[in-house]
This record gives sequence, structure tokens and C-alpha cells, in this order.
Amino acid sequence: MSIVTVQLGQCGNQIGHEVFNAICSDIHGTHGLCSKKENESYRDACKERFFCEEESEVPIARAVLVDMEPKVISQTLSMAARSGYWKYDDRSRFCQKQGSGNNWANGYSVHGPRHKEVIMNLVQKEAEKCDRLGGFFTIMSMAGGTGSGLGAFVTQCLRDAFPTSFILNHVIWPYSTGEVIVQNYNSVLTLSHLYQSSDALLVHENDVIHKICAQLMNIKQMSFRDVNQVIAHQLGSVFQPTYTAEGGLHYSRNPLGSFRDPSLYTSWLNPRDAFNAWKTPRAFNKYEKSAALVSNSQFLLKPLDNVVGKAWNMFASKAYIHQYTKFGIEEEDFLDSFTALEQVISSYTIL
Amino acid sequence: MSARHLSLIQGPSLSLCCSALISLCYVLFSIVFFFSDNQIRSVKSALWYHGYDRPELYRLPSDGSAGSRELLLAFSWLLHRLSLLEQLLARNRVKTGDETSVCTCEDDLPNSQKGITEIAPEYGLEDAVDVRYLQWLNGRLRFQWRSLHAQHQELCKLLHKIHLFTSGSHMDQILGHFSVTETDLVRQPENYKQLLQLLESETMQLEAFLEWKQLEPVYWQWMVMNQTDFGRCSFLDSNIADHFQRKIQESVELKLLDLTYLCAPKKNKMHGSCRLVFRSKHPASKTGFGRSVSKEHVSAVSATEVIRELQMREASLERELKQLREECRQRLDEIAEGLDGVICISP
Repeated sequence: MSIVTVQLGQCGNQIGHEVFNAICSDIHGTHGLCSKKENESYRDACKERFFCEEESEVPIARAVLVDMEPKVISQTLSMAARSGYWKYDDRSRFCQKQGSGNNWANGYSVHGPRHKEVIMNLVQKEAEKCDRLGGFFTIMSMAGGTGSGLGAFVTQCLRDAFPTSFILNHVIWPYSTGEVIVQNYNSVLTLSHLYQSSDALLVHENDVIHKICAQLMNIKQMSFRDVNQVIAHQLGSVFQPTYTAEGGLHYSRNPLGSFRDPSLYTSWLNPRDAFNAWKTPRAFNKYEKSAALVSNSQFLLKPLDNVVGKAWNMFASKAYIHQYTKFGIEEEDFLDSFTALEQVISSYTIL
Repeated sequence: MSARHLSLIQGPSLSLCCSALISLCYVLFSIVFFFSDNQIRSVKSALWYHGYDRPELYRLPSDGSAGSRELLLAFSWLLHRLSLLEQLLARNRVKTGDETSVCTCEDDLPNSQKGITEIAPEYGLEDAVDVRYLQWLNGRLRFQWRSLHAQHQELCKLLHKIHLFTSGSHMDQILGHFSVTETDLVRQPENYKQLLQLLESETMQLEAFLEWKQLEPVYWQWMVMNQTDFGRCSFLDSNIADHFQRKIQESVELKLLDLTYLCAPKKNKMHGSCRLVFRSKHPASKTGFGRSVSKEHVSAVSATEVIRELQMREASLERELKQLREECRQRLDEIAEGLDGVICISP
């Protein structure tokens, strides 16, 4: 089963590179307590999932790189090739000469449609290389210009072209004290559009990762690389192959069994359906034992409410709206987005 | 079928017939029946599912102590109605591995059933199911269906690889390529013994079936003779009375079908298991390239045709879905109008 990754914008490309790095180093890393045979099947499954092994020397990541400017993509491509363990396909990239100036509407209404065919051709090529396409994994930031507007548009195109595929969007939640003044507008627009086409949104909050780096890992001079590597490590541990879930018997021996406390779950879904544990004896990224928890819960309720609230306040005074209307995103579209997100907030509130 | 019952029959031909039937059944089923509660119940429900509506059978006790005549009648009904033996033979065939199932049939929902969804069931609060659970379930089902779809696509992709790479290697010039089973045999020749066993067993079944076919009329004759024991059975009447007439009618119908096929565009609905066969692009061919789907000796259908039909069906279903959604939306709007301070925002 293979996954095609679509790296969108500066954020998407940098994180994507770290993710493939983490996975690749995991493949070549220690296999901990499991047997050699176990390790081999783990490696084979993982390689098929993320890499394409042609006659070339190193495995090629199953990815499409998209950005409005060429700098980040070239950096990403060369860093990967330099590692010696893996690389990207040079042809699997799309970039323009100039950026879109952090303008969501520009990315969504102008660049998106203009370059749709070229980008989707690249995606199609990657998809055809897979014997079994498990789905798409897109990486993007929510509040930036290119990544978010174009990303929302590309996700829609993916859904139209592959109606039966699974689409997972990885979104980076901006710093709450971020620098981009219209980041809340961008976030609202991105989320409401992604919600329509995507199957699942996996969120990493910059604030939270920042705390992990600063407090847990004690990194003094934090760079984006550190942040991205933490994100990549978490994603990697979630994406790597595991045994398919066995029956209820496994749970009682599972140290994570405490997760069956009914107060953790909604009233309308019992813990057995809501909680799934996947295990593997194979160590991940030099950690002999590690666990990752992915949850669909009220965790994001406050941040989401925050972002929507701030965006609404700005919208009430029509601040900066002209930047969007001049590219075709009207006030009505804003209202639709607000409505959609209010619905999401209310469903999660009464969970 | 109890042996005790069969001894009432007279005539050597009939006992020959029945022994042929028994050996056929033995070969096909190869199971020993112990009458258990569950067994009886599942037999009854299976018969009900297929539309057997003779009440005497359903009144039989669940311990298997009585009713061998009714069972015999039910069995005969299955033989006639479902082409039971032919179906079993088809199912037990040695697989090529290239099989796929096709269905382009229209839904046969009678119009009367369409109104059923409008009737609101009388649910008390205790029986209520949270709609969010249903939404969750729906999402889960959709995800599982998609996984199945992806696996199926993978299967087709790999099958295509096999067909492509073994093109030109097969003894059968028309077919041209290996099937999955044959390819597997090339890779693991030591498995030939198992394959041989399966083929021999299939041959045995076919021979037993042929034997049965020769003697079948005797069986029906005997059943009709004993009809008074069973009461009125329309299918028994028709079986003997019209047996030969039907044969003539069938062959006439077949001839007509051939004529219509030649004169008019095909409107057959494909249904059932088929073998996927690879046909490379021929510049002279009218049907175009791509895989064909051939059904034994019957007409071959090209995959592109089936795809086109299915796409038309999909489009019509989508239109229907859209219409139903509109109706639901209108209903919800009407309901919302009746409530104070409530607006309906449709998804």
C-alpha cells in the first residue's frame, strides 16, 4: 500500500523533507527487540508505502513538490539527494518564479486554476506508479499565502480526480502571536475549504511544538529545523507499518488499557469502537519503546474558537477584505466559511 | 433424503436414478448431516429467502424427527428453481484466478417498496439511536468500501501485469497469455499434484452430473406419480406436462435471441462471474483495445462496453440521489418553518 505526499508551500516542503528523512533513517536504524525477519517485512512495507524503488541507486520518495517560488524546493531536493539514502524525483516538482505574497485569494483563485493541469499531471504520474494507492497526504500551513490558498485548491482537485481515495491533510496551526496580520482570515478560509474535500485533518500547533522543543527537549536556540524534526518524528511514528488491530484480548495486556475509561469518550460511541491500538515490536527511530496518540477530540476546540473569533472581529470591520475581493473571494465566501466552521465548533462542543 | 423413503420406489430405473442422484449429492456436498436445531432453522430460512412458500415445510419440528417427504419436495423445488446442481458445479470449478464478477443489472425494487421509507417507525425514546453514531458508522463503512475498492484496483493492476508479461506464451493461440493459476504453476511446479487433484475431482463431478442428466426425467416422473402425497404442486405439474414442450420453446427462444442479437444493439444485462482476458490493441479491430470479458463459450464482452454501461447507470443513480436530497432538503425547510427561531442550514 502506497501513499503519495503532496508538499505545498515553504512549510509543506520543509516538513515533508524532514518526514521522509525520519522515515528513511528509521528504516535503516536499529530494529530493537524484534527479529530480523520482522525487521525485513517492516522495511519492505515501509519502503513500498513511501518510496518507489526503480533501477536507480536510491529509493525515490513518492512525492509532488509544489511552491510558488523556486528557492525552497531546490533546497529540499538537494538536501535529500545529499543524504545518500533517498531522494526526490527531480521531475516531480512545480514552482513559479514569484511568490503570491501571503495572499490566500491569490493562491486559491488565480494560481490554483492556472496551474491545475500541470500539478494534477504530476500527481497522476505518482499515483500510477503505485500498485495500490492508499491515498494522499498533503502537508501545508494553514495561515500562509501559497501553502494555504493553493493547498485548499489542490485538495479540492485531488478529491475531484480521485473520488474514492483517502485524503489526509496535515495542517500547521500558526503561532497565536503570529506575524501575518491576516493569518486568521487565511486559517478560516483554509479550514472551511479543506473540510469539504478532505477525509481527515491532522493538526500540529506551532505553539505546542515550540513548547516541546523548549521545555521537553531543552533546545535553547530553536530553529525551524528543530520544530520540523519534532513534527516529522511524530508523523513518522504514526505512519510506520504496524500490525493490524487484533481482537479485544490484546487490550487487556496492553499498557495503554487505561484508555478505556468511559468518561474519555462521547456518549454515543463506546470505547471499543472509538479506540484503536496498533502495535509493532519494531523500534522506531532509535526509541525502543514509543507511543503516539492521535485523537479526534475537543483538543482543538479552544484554538479553533480563538481563530474564528479573531477573524470574525476583523471581518466585522471589513479590515483587509479588499485584498481578497480583488482576487475573487467575496464577502459571501467569507460568510460561508464562518458558517461552516461555526457548525464544526458546535458539533465538537456538544460532543 | 432418507433411504427408507426411497425403498418405496418401484422399478430398477428409478433406483438407478436415485443412486445417481445420491452419488452426485455426495460428491458435491461431501458432508454428513446431523440434524441439529440450528441446521433445521437455517435450512428453513434459506428456503424462505429463495421464495419457497409451502407452509407444511415451515411447520416441521426442529429436531428432524419428521418431514423427509417435505424435505424431498423442497429439495426438488431447489433443483428446479435455482438450477441448484449447475450452480454448485460452477462454484466448485477449478479457478483460473482471473475471475471477476460483473453486474449491470437494474435495481428491481417494485414501486410499492419505494414508499416504505416514508413511514416513520414508532420508536420510543429508549430505542432512539444517536444520529452521530449513525454518521460515524456511515463514515466507517465508506472508508472500508474505499479500501476494498483500492484493493480491487490493485488486483486488476497486477493481473494486467501477469497477462502482459505472459503474452504469447500460451499454447492456446487465441487466448495468448497465462492465467494466475497457470503462472503460479510455472513458479511452483511442485504444486502440480494439488492442481491435478482438483481437476480430477471436478471431472468426477461433471461425470456424475452428466449421469444424473440422463436419468433426470425418471426422477420427475416419480415425483409427479407421488404427487398425491404432497398435495398440489404447480411446479411438479409443469415439470412433466410441459417438459418437452418447454424444451422446444427454449430452443425457439434461443434462435429468436440470436436473430435479435444480430439485428439490434445488445441490451443484455451482464451478471455473474467472468474471466478477464487481455486483448492487445489491434488496428483492424472495431471493438478497440483493452481487456475483454469473456464468459465461457458465450459472447465475449469488452471491458469498455461494461464500463460505459456502468457509467450510464452511475449517472442515473446520481441524478436520483440528487433528487432525493432535494426532497429531503425541502422537507427539512418545511419543518424548520414551523419552528420558532430555527433556520435550516443545509450541508
